[in-house]
Amino acid sequence: MRRTKTILVVLTLVLAACQSAPAPTTTVGSGSEATTATTAAAGAETTATAAPVATGEGIIIALATEPSTLDAQLVNDRSSRVVTSNIVEGLLFRTPEGEVAPHLAESFEAVADDRWRFVLQQGVLFHNGEPFNADAVVFSINRIIAEDYETQRTSYIEGLLGAEAIDEYTVEIITDGISPVVPSQMTSIPIVPPGAGADPGYGDAPVGTGPYRFVSWDRGQQINLEANPEYWGGVPSIPAFSIRVIPDAQTALAALQAGEVDMVLDLLPEHAPLVPVFVSTPGPEFSYIQLNSYKDIFADPRVRQALNYAVDKETLAATIYEGHAQPNDAQHLTSGMLGYNPEVSAFPYDPELATQLLTEAGYPEGFTMELHVPIGRFLKGNETAEYVAAQLGEVGVIVEIVLTEFSVHREVVRIPGPDPNSVDSRYGWNSNEWFDAARYSGFFTCEGGSSKICIQEIDDLHAQASSTNDQEERNQLYQQIWSLLHENPISIYLLQQNLLYGLSEDLQWEPRADDEVLVSTMGLAG
Amino acid sequence: MNSTLSIPRFVLARLRDGAVVLFLVVLTIFVLAFVVGNPVEYYAPPDATQEEIDRLNRILGFDRPFHVQFADYFGGLVRGDFGDSLFQRRPAIHPILEALPATILLSLTGIAVAGLWGAVTGVIAGVRPGSIFDRVANFLSVSMVSVPNFWLGLLLIVIFAVQLRALPTSGFFDPKGLILPTLTLGLVHGGRIFLIVRSVTFEETTKPYVMVAESKGLPFSYVVGRHILRNAGVTIATTVGWEYVRMMGGTAFAIEFVFAWPGVGNLMIDSANRQDFPVLQAGVILTGVFVIVANIVVDLGSKVVDRRLQPA
Repeated sequence: MRRTKTILVVLTLVLAACQSAPAPTTTVGSGSEATTATTAAAGAETTATAAPVATGEGIIIALATEPSTLDAQLVNDRSSRVVTSNIVEGLLFRTPEGEVAPHLAESFEAVADDRWRFVLQQGVLFHNGEPFNADAVVFSINRIIAEDYETQRTSYIEGLLGAEAIDEYTVEIITDGISPVVPSQMTSIPIVPPGAGADPGYGDAPVGTGPYRFVSWDRGQQINLEANPEYWGGVPSIPAFSIRVIPDAQTALAALQAGEVDMVLDLLPEHAPLVPVFVSTPGPEFSYIQLNSYKDIFADPRVRQALNYAVDKETLAATIYEGHAQPNDAQHLTSGMLGYNPEVSAFPYDPELATQLLTEAGYPEGFTMELHVPIGRFLKGNETAEYVAAQLGEVGVIVEIVLTEFSVHREVVRIPGPDPNSVDSRYGWNSNEWFDAARYSGFFTCEGGSSKICIQEIDDLHAQASSTNDQEERNQLYQQIWSLLHENPISIYLLQQNLLYGLSEDLQWEPRADDEVLVSTMGLAG
Repeated sequence: MNSTLSIPRFVLARLRDGAVVLFLVVLTIFVLAFVVGNPVEYYAPPDATQEEIDRLNRILGFDRPFHVQFADYFGGLVRGDFGDSLFQRRPAIHPILEALPATILLSLTGIAVAGLWGAVTGVIAGVRPGSIFDRVANFLSVSMVSVPNFWLGLLLIVIFAVQLRALPTSGFFDPKGLILPTLTLGLVHGGRIFLIVRSVTFEETTKPYVMVAESKGLPFSYVVGRHILRNAGVTIATTVGWEYVRMMGGTAFAIEFVFAWPGVGNLMIDSANRQDFPVLQAGVILTGVFVIVANIVVDLGSKVVDRRLQPA
């Protein structure tokens, strides 16, 4: 037996080693290239070397997950953005009120159906000394849209074909037909230097034009940044800061209470009373239960209206979210976003009207439906689903909750509406990072990837809005769409979630509705 | 059976067994990863179309049949290639190797504290059963074993870091950061070691040779040192070894999480959440190797001690 085992083991190893080389995996450049010296040579350091930024000189911000990379063009994840939004910048900037304002570009306009012209600021340098100019913009646009780069930020590059330098400080963005969302996109596409940006190690040591520059990254622990003394917008008041990774929410709270960190992001609602200073703001996240109008039970708009009347959203926000949310205005938008209709507001809680509508639609006894919920993905998601199920039960609608792991959930809900295997309904959150109704056209157009509805009038309005660069006209058109979607709901519109933060007593900061954490806007008292 | 093998052959046999275990571990994790869900769903944005998902599947090789993917992966493993992280765009083994020293440091320090605490108090309690020391130590140890380890860690954080501000809450920025997590591990595992050591020691004291030695007039401490410890030593060493395996199998990761310790545990939890399977698998494999080697060392140690116990 001993000998057999030994032979088996040796045989397996030999066979495995004799295999042909594995299929090439997707990487940017090959991992064995030596990083060039132009970027900050700090790169990834081993553990237990760097000391934390002393609270006297700078601040420490606690985050629950570590960024996977600091290449802001590459990933969608918020933990990466918390760091990189202080390091890199876009041509335009989103003000706290939600408007698009000039930033690295002084002005912009659409000069043709497929071209937007940006006039750039002069005299701006990247952290490594490279100049910011039209070439850098062209490089950055081409870098993010390149097929083999494979950015995860696909919504930000939709419709972009490339860029062309007109002169040293003028650049034109080229689009695939009319693309009115280019200004929105330019608030989020970071401009990176052509030299350092070509380095495969860029994600470990990012370089940008922003108010802070990268110093070092202690993997698994902390990322350190310092103020950019040459920043074109004026040197920020806080000289340095670190992002510290603390996965456990209780430990993060303890660290804030012990004065080890100055700020905790992603604060749990139950910790709000325990932090020195609690700040919050309504955020860009909207929760909903999408209803598949291709299903017989949901074909009649009155049924979908009824479900909206049947759920008491105020109580949901007050109890399960402990007041850290509020009912949204029956739109996946809030004021400040393009397309938001101020005349449309949340469906009031009216179970009698709900029952009446259900009867009129032919369901006096109610019906049964499935609700798909991804496990652990959204804060208090399970509780919300159960709450809604209980409320719908009171008007005769029996809800069977189907809990699945996130990736499985995604696969199932992607099945198109008309397909018999598609889901009845699903719980989800949207985050509208464009601040523009067009961002989620996929939810209400006939061909939309996430859509479970088809109304020709809405498609026509959307097509009109997509073929003009006049933002006011687009605003009107989308407002009309959301008015129609009030009579013909695509979902049970639920809440707008608040963003919760814990601060130390000395830290001064106004939170932003888009969840950007810009240290250059913070101050320290005393 | 073991005692008939010379040391080198013993080690080889154990390594061979370890390789079999490791293979099964790799296969199991691979199967689980395959069954649980597609990491592409995390990689792609929420409203990706089916074509985009298919494209990503094709590029990452996830659309190939299971045995092809596994053979490919295993072949890479033997060559030392663990694949690339899906999210960090560098070889999956790199983040693991970066994080490994921190985990090794924490676990070894933790088991050293646990072993010392458990063995010393266990022996003392074992030779003085029923004493106040015994009863207090017993009570403490049973409590430590019964409470959830992360709760104990958080409690220590609240007391020593928040209230007393004597130690850091988390992280490994200076050596003081090692104290609380090590203390937590030491208490939790030390408790179990104590209970076993105490019981083994007590059993030794009931053996005839003890009475014989005492009747010869030998001092008790001599008896303890020379004979009881020798005989119980094997069990003590094995217990510590097993507790170490137990620690690496779960407690260490929970403690790393609570204390934001930059080790393999946190890295693997993070990778599991993101479904970054190459990193997760690399972590499981390396941890597995480490535990198997640790096991072999413990068994080797007890074998050596065993040898010395052979009748002269």
